[in-house]
Amino acid sequence: MKKPAELAYGVDEKPPGVVTWLSAAQHVAVLAVVMIFPVLVSREAGASPAAAAGILSAGMLAMGLATILQASSRGPLGSGYLAPTGFQAVYLGPSLAAAKLGGLPLVFGMTIFAGLIEAAVSRLWRPLRPYFPPELSGLVVLFTAMAVAALGIRYLLGESAGEPARSLNWAVAGLTLVTMVALNLWTRGMPRMFCALIGTVAGYVVAVWLGLGSVQELAAIAASPLVDFPRFEHLAWSFDLSMALPFAVSGVAAAMNTSANLTIFQRLNDAEWVRPDLGSISRATLTDGLASSASGAIGSCGISTLSASVGVVVATGVSSRRIAYSIGAIVFVLAFLPKFTAVLVAIPGPVVAGALLFMSCFILIAGMQILTSRMLDARKTLVIGFSVAAALAVLMFPAASAGAPIWLQSLLDSPLVAGTLVALALNLAFRVGVRQKVGLAIDVAANYAKAIEDFFMQRGAVWGARPDVIRRAVFGVTQLAETVIENCNPQGPLAIEASFDEFNLEVHVSYVGDLLELPESRPTDREIRESEDGTRRLAGFMLRRNADRAQSMRQNGRAIIHFHFDH
Amino acid sequence: MDLVITRSENVSTVEPRGRIDSVTAKEFGDRLSQLIRSGANRIVIDLANIAYISSAGFRALLIAGKLVEETDGKLALCGVAGEVKRLFDLASFTDLFLICGTRDDCVAKVQASD
Repeated sequence: MKKPAELAYGVDEKPPGVVTWLSAAQHVAVLAVVMIFPVLVSREAGASPAAAAGILSAGMLAMGLATILQASSRGPLGSGYLAPTGFQAVYLGPSLAAAKLGGLPLVFGMTIFAGLIEAAVSRLWRPLRPYFPPELSGLVVLFTAMAVAALGIRYLLGESAGEPARSLNWAVAGLTLVTMVALNLWTRGMPRMFCALIGTVAGYVVAVWLGLGSVQELAAIAASPLVDFPRFEHLAWSFDLSMALPFAVSGVAAAMNTSANLTIFQRLNDAEWVRPDLGSISRATLTDGLASSASGAIGSCGISTLSASVGVVVATGVSSRRIAYSIGAIVFVLAFLPKFTAVLVAIPGPVVAGALLFMSCFILIAGMQILTSRMLDARKTLVIGFSVAAALAVLMFPAASAGAPIWLQSLLDSPLVAGTLVALALNLAFRVGVRQKVGLAIDVAANYAKAIEDFFMQRGAVWGARPDVIRRAVFGVTQLAETVIENCNPQGPLAIEASFDEFNLEVHVSYVGDLLELPESRPTDREIRESEDGTRRLAGFMLRRNADRAQSMRQNGRAIIHFHFDH
Repeated sequence: MDLVITRSENVSTVEPRGRIDSVTAKEFGDRLSQLIRSGANRIVIDLANIAYISSAGFRALLIAGKLVEETDGKLALCGVAGEVKRLFDLASFTDLFLICGTRDDCVAKVQASD
């Protein structure tokens, strides 16, 4: 692993104490923003402020432990990276539905279930990968953004408080949002990094001053001791089969989320990164799933690694895993500060609205970036289009599920669940007819360059391959064809065969003619200038370097050039 | 491949468009040689509109560079970005030529060598 130049402290390094704790504090500020989610779930369940505080404290204990475990990489657990864990939006929709259906016990019981699903998926990640292509991860993030935005608008309209929106609510939501946006766009450094937290605090202060917010919850702040053990009186668990599918989807979505986040963390920490380290991702997802189950077991909501933490690592240039231990310690301590949790529980609805709408923008863009990171063909276009339509339909026509059976209603209540299920089903169905191994014959007299490019671009889209790998294959085969035609006396067409799986692109080119050598060392400038042989050897040298592995050999009277590209 | 050649003061700018491969590299190389032998020895080659350059194209650049050197001239390249830059790195050509960020930079640098 080679530390990139833009990182001040890499994953294995030990920053000074001040840097460690300051970086940790910045990560905790990001985690604090998503602590809104369990507050919303407890409100949906009609829980008391004390119970809501208990949920938050329990969640913080789980978050702290999970963050430390993720960094440690012992045995089957932990990725070895700084990958902070917090309350995750993929659980929000199903958790709200469970809170409404069966109260907090159902939320906790189903969260345990979802975590176990994620843990099971982690053990099967490699063989399951073709069924969870990257565009599916992007869709999951997109649907999460839609759900978060929709919830924000519900709070803005006062629907979640069960009262009509007042102009004061709009004003406070607007102030919260404007503060966040202004800091994000027009400031740099700490104000920009903490824009969400600062906006939330600003909106909170103004809302309380204007008399908004729950009197009961605000009174609980004053009544809470400064330091106390977390309370678990709210602990109880139940299970309902009708919620199994939505929470299973959340578990799978959390696995995809952690896989995507860990890939980013791996890339951030290694200048020579080529492809995801599946072992680390598998351990990370197992840890994530077990942590979420543990969170449910001790009376809190689902947790997972946060993509927002990537932004903090990029901004600070510090990705040392030691930061994780400090984050865990800080969050653990916060769990013992009831006044802190009471302040979070009492967050006024309009402030929630502003925060959710702001967060949804960044989640949305993250989803779109993942969606467009691979080549797309007609199949993938239809998967994306239909699943987005399904998610939108759920959001726009919530009454449509009113007459449906209970088990179906739970699927139609959540855009994340509905959209993900449609995407999974269509992805599976459209795999019919997709060949992973294809061939092309190149006539040496024809316009082979265009034929080669069209062949690989079309196949790349069908396979959902990375554009950069396909470009390398196009260059490799084109340069090879050019050099063979000019120098190797080919008799008949060149036969090209390409095969792809998620990790490898293999390209075989065979022909009858002289074998092209692929030298390890570059010919001199003089040799290139003064002879065709020098130019031929330059081509072979470039071909060897272009692929991750290249071989030339004779077999059954044919010259064979084989390229391997890591994907 | 199209080749656009413009002259401004004592600098000739050559802008190939399309692909420089075994088919077009000969014409590219011949036009460059012709230009240099006609007395133009302050040359900027703008590769911004090149989609592909193969070993034959690199050979043509090497020959042109040598000719310019023999006439005590100066050759600079610009538009070396994206896939073209990757190919320059593959062929270990990045350190062989003066490569500038913009055409104006290139023109200034080849003029400044007086």
